[in-house]
Amino acid sequence: MVDVPVSCRSREYPLFKEKDVKILVTAKRVEDPESKIKVKPDGSDIVREGLKYKINPFDEIGVEEGLRLVAKHGGEVVVVSIGGKEVQEQLRHALAMGAQRAVWVNHTGALDQMGVAGLLQKVVEKEKPDLVVLGKQSIDDDQNQVGQYLAEYLGWGQATFASKVESLESEQEKSKTPALQVGADGKTVQVVREVDNGLATLECQLPAVVTTDLRLNLPRYASLPGIMKAKSKPIEELTPEKLGVDVTPKVQVVKLASPPERKAGIKVPDVATLVDKLRNEAKVV
Amino acid sequence: MSLPRTNPLLNDRDVDFQLYEVRDATWLCTLPTFAEHSRETFSLLLDSTRRLAREVFYPTYRPMDSEPPVLREGRVHVHPLMRKLYPQMVELGLAAATRPVEVGGQQLPLTVHSVASAYLMAANLSAYAYLGLSLGAAHLLEAFGSPWLRDTFMSRLYSGEWTGTMALTEPQAGSSLADVRTRASPAPDGSWRISGSKIFISGGDQDFTENVVHLTLARPEGAPPGTRGLSLFAVPARRPEGERWVDNDVRVAGLIHKIGWKGIPSLALNYGERGDCHGWLVGEPGRGLTQMFQMMNEARIMVGLNAVATASAAYHEALLYAQERPQGRPASVRDAAQPQCFIIEHPDVRRMLLRQKAIVEGGLGLLVEASWQADVAEHGHSEEQRARARWVLDLLTPVAKTFPAEKGFEANALAVQIHGGYGYSSEYLPEAWLRDQKLNTIHEGTSGIQGLDLLGRKVMAGGGEALKAFAQEVGSTVERARRAGVDPKWCEELGRALGEVVALTGELGAAGATGQVERMLMHSADYLELFSVLAVAWQWLAQAAAASEGLARGGEGRDFYDGKLLAAQYWFHTELPRVGPLVALCRSGEDSYVRMRPEFF
Ligand SMILES: Cc1cc2nc3c(=O)[nH]c(=O)nc-3n(C[C@H](O)[C@H](O)[C@H](O)COP(=O)(O)OP(=O)(O)OC[C@H]3O[C@@H](n4cnc5c(N)ncnc54)[C@H](O)[C@@H]3O)c2cc1C
Ligand SMILES: Cc1cc2nc3c(=O)[nH]c(=O)nc-3n(C[C@H](O)[C@H](O)[C@H](O)COP(=O)(O)OP(=O)(O)OC[C@H]3O[C@@H](n4cnc5c(N)ncnc54)[C@H](O)[C@@H]3O)c2cc1C
Repeated sequence: MVDVPVSCRSREYPLFKEKDVKILVTAKRVEDPESKIKVKPDGSDIVREGLKYKINPFDEIGVEEGLRLVAKHGGEVVVVSIGGKEVQEQLRHALAMGAQRAVWVNHTGALDQMGVAGLLQKVVEKEKPDLVVLGKQSIDDDQNQVGQYLAEYLGWGQATFASKVESLESEQEKSKTPALQVGADGKTVQVVREVDNGLATLECQLPAVVTTDLRLNLPRYASLPGIMKAKSKPIEELTPEKLGVDVTPKVQVVKLASPPERKAGIKVPDVATLVDKLRNEAKVV
Repeated sequence: MSLPRTNPLLNDRDVDFQLYEVRDATWLCTLPTFAEHSRETFSLLLDSTRRLAREVFYPTYRPMDSEPPVLREGRVHVHPLMRKLYPQMVELGLAAATRPVEVGGQQLPLTVHSVASAYLMAANLSAYAYLGLSLGAAHLLEAFGSPWLRDTFMSRLYSGEWTGTMALTEPQAGSSLADVRTRASPAPDGSWRISGSKIFISGGDQDFTENVVHLTLARPEGAPPGTRGLSLFAVPARRPEGERWVDNDVRVAGLIHKIGWKGIPSLALNYGERGDCHGWLVGEPGRGLTQMFQMMNEARIMVGLNAVATASAAYHEALLYAQERPQGRPASVRDAAQPQCFIIEHPDVRRMLLRQKAIVEGGLGLLVEASWQADVAEHGHSEEQRARARWVLDLLTPVAKTFPAEKGFEANALAVQIHGGYGYSSEYLPEAWLRDQKLNTIHEGTSGIQGLDLLGRKVMAGGGEALKAFAQEVGSTVERARRAGVDPKWCEELGRALGEVVALTGELGAAGATGQVERMLMHSADYLELFSVLAVAWQWLAQAAAASEGLARGGEGRDFYDGKLLAAQYWFHTELPRVGPLVALCRSGEDSYVRMRPEFF
């Protein structure tokens, strides 16, 4: 494990009344990976009929981490999602998990990662959170960009791929302690992040952007009492126009295609044949 | 994206179909009690429950099956995993979900609670059973208990702090609770002293909560023999004494070694060996069994659901296996140099799978229907609506309990069969579900008792009112199916089968009314079978209608509807034709087993 304390750029907003933390978490609507996903014959999109949707699992982890921090420090978790009115389902889910409020940016057209980050920037400027937590990527497009763009646009420090020191089976996780540590003075956050050769610990000044990795926590299931409470929690509607963001995409999707079917493997009679094939056919040894 | 395929336990698409296409569960939200709910609250809860079932409960099933509870120095130690599982069900809010807000509930329709619970039952039935028993006990206290009992016991059961049991059975009093001998004598402090022995008490002790409350049937001193002399008592394992909780003299006398449900202990309990077992009367003296019976529909719906869930888990396992197991070649291929096919390509394997599907999804339909009727019976808009639902519910209950248990056992055996020799080994799961399933034909009234209940009581109830209400339900489904363009032959055949059953019931009722009770009940088991075939055909017609409507709407998802129509066809072509012979049998007075004397065997 490498330990690299890094000091990030300074903050813009006056923070922390007492120790309360205000956390903005994204909740993107994505296709449920358990649905059968097929590309349309013309490659323009996937077949959407009959698909199930859920919160991007990385975002769900973000919501969980936010809730744990707020349980520890006080404050509130605000969730934000961008899309048509159907994204209210995901917002409602996050509210049922325990988030206090939701912001819905109503936008149905195409959107690229800069557009998303641009919209989020305006929401952040409006909400003035201490911490923005996003998934490191969303499981539909696997882009891994929005968190980084957002930090850049805001001029904030960022800590990506937040993870846990211990495993997800650890006592820490069982007792639902947050992995993100807000400093005693409420001015910094410590983030353990996954890097190639282990874990690195960053310290960031608040406000900051954090993106979550899969091994950060096990998100709670929305409980029935939580679901009923969520019904009366507010969802504020915004639009790109209201936020003053031009979301014309700079990136265009040209075509979608399924990965080629994997061919069935073969059995080789002995090790010699295997080595021969690896050397001469696959050319990997 | 291709993921490792895991057993879904229940088909989510089918659950949605049952709730929103076969019927419209959002209609329930027009009933004032359920007004706070909507499709959104239902979906969120179902989503949480199925994830808990798949991600947390299912992986614990095998370990809990392999390491049953042990009795050590008078205490039962259950699998340590229960320490984690029980609180998670409680946290999800499932304990008091259907109960009123005043007792900490969320007024969720039973219809939704049933399908949600079915996921947990399919994942790990024993783990769920602790909760099911606790809410049964709490519900009794809620309905009949004094404010003190509700405060002291009910609230702790709903909050998950303690668990509860239903302690009815005794060695000499299983099917016949009239013979319960456990005694209760009044004590000066207003409570009672309990003494006697119970057997098979599920969840009768465990080590993951601090206390267990036994809702116990006992006979107060001087009470008459028979069921009218029975009262209901709350008997905790530890009782309050001032500020302390002290041992209440309920001793675990033995642990039954079972072939299934190995995650939950079933125990012999001795009450009052030291003369120091305190119990508190629940409700009125002499009404113990009546009060229990008021909860009976719900308890039997739970057993039926459990049977569907256990058959469903095995069906999905077999379905996955059949798509992965290469064996043999299609009948048309003679060349052994050709690669083997997956066994799902053999028509006979698809026959077995389709039979499982017909039983599982027909059974689920029956249970959702029964739960729906229970919701309307309790919370319907008008007394007329409630009364009708009560008739239908009472009539359906023995069928909804028994059909999935009896045919589910067959479906579970088919899952073993599809696994071939591997199915017979304990390396694979189907054998475990087969063992589990068997209990469902025994507890909460054996199938034999259910047959007697259906024919002797339920179909005759209200001078034919119950049967009439049921016939009207079937009639409106037939109408809907006609409009949806379902094969008119199915509609006619179901109508004819219903007519035959009604006529037969009239004849048997007349025999009973003229004192020929033995003649009337001679074929009660066959009658229950007959009624089940009919009721499940009704459910399949409803599903065929909803599937035809779905196809008419066009769009994607045809496969699901085509599968529904073929399963319906299977039922109408292979099961419904059994109605004629079964009616003839019940009418015939065929008396071979009646005339068999013990010495003839
Ligand atoms: C695993 C397990 C868990 C259980 N959990 C509980 C529990 O938590 N609480 C509880 O109180 N009980 C529990 N029971 C007991 C269960 O309800 C009884 O086993 C059941 O009611 C049958 O009673 P019995 O075993 O005494 O069988 P019997 O009543 O002796 O029946 C034996 C056979 O005779 C038949 N028979 C009996 N009487 C008649 C009749 N009048 N007419 C026709 N046929 C008849 C039955 O159908 C059956 O086939 C449990 C049982 C098991 C196996
Ligand atoms: C306890 C035990 C003892 C045994 N003892 C012996 C022994 O002493 N000696 C020995 O040689 N073997 C023995 N066996 C093996 C036994 O004969 C095989 O398990 C049996 O032949 C089934 O083969 P399988 O298990 O490979 O199942 P599979 O052949 O994979 O069958 C799986 C399912 O697919 C169906 N199926 C397969 N092919 C077709 C087809 N062409 N058309 C339609 N349906 C098909 C089957 O009906 C079955 O339902 C034993 C097995 C057990 C469990």
